[in-house]
Amino acid sequence: MIGGRRPIQGRKLADKRVRVERPHSAYFRYAGPGQLVAKPAASQARSGFGRQWLRAKAWLIGRPLASEDEISERLSKRLALPIFSSDAISSSAYATEEILKVLALAGAGALFLSIPLAIAITGLLTVVAISYRQVCRAFPGGGGAYAVARKELLPILGLVAAGALLIDYVMTVAVSTSSAMDQLISMAPVLDNGQDHRLRIGIAVVVIALITVANLRGLRESGNIFAVPTYLFVGLALLIVMAGVFHVVTGTVTPFPPQPEVTPMGTQAIGTFLILRAFASGSVALTGVEAIANGVPAFKPPEAKNAANTMLAMAVLLGTIFIGVTVIAHAYQIVPSQDLSGGPTVIAMVAQTAFGKDGPLFYVFQMATALILFLAANTSFNAFPRLGAILAEDGYFPRQFSFRGDRLAYSWGIVLLAAIAAGLYVLFGGNTTNLIPLYSVGVFVCFTLSQAGMVRHWVRTHDSGWWWRGIVNAFGALLTLVVLVIVLTEKFEHGAWVVAVLIPTLVAMMLFIQRQYRASARQLAVRPEFVLPPKLREERAIVPVPGLTRAVVRAVNVARSVADDVIAVYISDDPEDARAMRERWERQVPGVQLVIVESPYRALAGPFMAYLDVLDRAWPPGHEEPITFVVVPEYVARHWWERILYNQSARRLRALLVGRPHTVVVDVPYRRDEADRFHGLDAESSTPADA
Amino acid sequence: MADSSAPPFRRAVVALSGARTDRPIVALAAEVARQHHAELVGVHVVEIDWTLPLDADVAGRSEDAQRVLDIAEATAEGARHRLETVLLQARDVGAAIVDEASERQADMIICGLPFRRRFGGDFAIGRTIPYILKNAPCAVWVVREAMPEEQA
Repeated sequence: MIGGRRPIQGRKLADKRVRVERPHSAYFRYAGPGQLVAKPAASQARSGFGRQWLRAKAWLIGRPLASEDEISERLSKRLALPIFSSDAISSSAYATEEILKVLALAGAGALFLSIPLAIAITGLLTVVAISYRQVCRAFPGGGGAYAVARKELLPILGLVAAGALLIDYVMTVAVSTSSAMDQLISMAPVLDNGQDHRLRIGIAVVVIALITVANLRGLRESGNIFAVPTYLFVGLALLIVMAGVFHVVTGTVTPFPPQPEVTPMGTQAIGTFLILRAFASGSVALTGVEAIANGVPAFKPPEAKNAANTMLAMAVLLGTIFIGVTVIAHAYQIVPSQDLSGGPTVIAMVAQTAFGKDGPLFYVFQMATALILFLAANTSFNAFPRLGAILAEDGYFPRQFSFRGDRLAYSWGIVLLAAIAAGLYVLFGGNTTNLIPLYSVGVFVCFTLSQAGMVRHWVRTHDSGWWWRGIVNAFGALLTLVVLVIVLTEKFEHGAWVVAVLIPTLVAMMLFIQRQYRASARQLAVRPEFVLPPKLREERAIVPVPGLTRAVVRAVNVARSVADDVIAVYISDDPEDARAMRERWERQVPGVQLVIVESPYRALAGPFMAYLDVLDRAWPPGHEEPITFVVVPEYVARHWWERILYNQSARRLRALLVGRPHTVVVDVPYRRDEADRFHGLDAESSTPADA
Repeated sequence: MADSSAPPFRRAVVALSGARTDRPIVALAAEVARQHHAELVGVHVVEIDWTLPLDADVAGRSEDAQRVLDIAEATAEGARHRLETVLLQARDVGAAIVDEASERQADMIICGLPFRRRFGGDFAIGRTIPYILKNAPCAVWVVREAMPEEQA
């Protein structure tokens, strides 16, 4: 298109030029022959409401990012550690407490067992971390236990791992939020008086909503937001551990004063049962270790190497803090407070040994602990949507989960996770201990399956060092299987049975989704040898006309451009009206056949559908049935509230026509603001509501 | 002595020919313009010979002509600066560029000079750049493409 077409005079008489308009340039960019790339303007909303919505969304989650920006959204190790490890590292804030609560059932004399148990759990952590470092390298596409089990074991076991992981991530959000609230209450008991938990629950739900928004803003931005509290927690926790170990070594420990809200000491005998239960409870320290392996593609290149190194850093930090806190708790004879009593947590009391009860660093640490526990939830917000996306790509989850939102985050997964976790938190009244039995079962199912899968991987690939790697994984698989059995047995009646029911339910749901997708793919598949033949089928256009309006005239025009055989169908319950309509139609719309169907029972859609069926039956046998275009005139009102006044019959008709064989529904909108430009028939006799 | 902090230009016209030099000169111009908050106008001229009327619908239908400007625009975006694009039809490319720069009151014209690899290698300076150098009312940067290593 030449703009204006009038040459622009140059400085010299003979120098003229013409500016050429580029109508596409506002919306598209040529990327190659026959290929256009949409610019942001092409995705802009066209309605006022849509523009307002996009503006609000951009304010809340940021301006949309192009797909090519994905690489810049990748995480460095410095940012990935807080994002993917806050879950695991934060476990150190409550794992010791979980052990002590179980050991307290056997009295104060049993608390010394916390140290060997912490060492045993750290040993297990070492094996699991080594194993997952190998998973990172062997499965750089992410997916963790799901990917390993699906490829190396059986697809169904992959789904079991996926189901367990999904449950694990939901639990992580709920448990971490609950623990974070405990920390806040340790610092500010006014938030929960032990009777009314509404304020506690309200704050937690708001925090989950804030984390959701931060994650919808994209990976890098949420990493930047969340890095500071994680590093603050790690730094202060290491300081506490160093100070505590110094006091223990120098023999300057003074026992912690007893708290009024202390858990009452029990009288059970110290036996295998109790020790195993304490071990199972403390093994929550391992939750979140797998998150890095699930999100390998989120790392900057070389992805696998960076992920494996981040995993190592995470395991070292977690192990050090966990053992350190447990040693200090034992040395200072710290006893956990009763659930929901409003008393201080074990980590809070441990912090007091280093920073004092009212020292500013104590408050900073408590705040950092609360934040990292909230941020542990953030790990799930990264891992859950990624797993959902992988499952969606494999056809086990609805496809929407694989679509990236404006900020390249998997928005569907993020929102779903937030909704389920917040619901669960409210349902359980914000009590961590009630949720933990549901928590660790899924984690150990994943550990066991991923390591068993890795054994098969090494045996199959014979990569360098396959035998010792295989041994590590086999040992890890055995160890985590034992823990799984312990956790399941010990916690079954305390709620672990829910997970045992949920995993098969999720697997069944994923299989059902996959079957649906496969069935539709089979039905829609085009055989490789198929070549579109020349046009063979005939077509006809049927226009349901509610009267003679401008919308109807436009629909008839569209119908004439689609097919040669056009029939207008007028359903009437008044013979007089029908006669008038025919007279007017023949005068004003000559050349288009009008069929009047009298409907003594005043039904509209039914007789129209029956008429279509009759047309089909009347088609000569032996000929392929024609494609029937049902061209529906539609009056588009200017305002949303006007729209309920119009098009109700058309809407009903469309609903009935969906799925009718050989039938295509064509909507022909007629906008109210087009009326001024219309130079056709007068429409006085009919109202748009008929359309 | 010239003030070294003064921007080299406030508004520059970048002459785009569709040659290899387009990307580097746009990237360079965008880099400088970004630092000094200057405006950039990318101009591509389709030469119309005397057998056709000047306003014949040639460039508008040419995907190649559009692509030259789109690629330049994308290159500038990559350098985080906006490039306004103009597509012209003219009898003489050099005159059109100079006239467009004059009309827009540009204080710089930036052109690329590709290295001709055939016939032993040479700089085919052609007639457009000499015309611009001779007639432009503003400063002109001619960015010469680097010589291939084997001929350097």
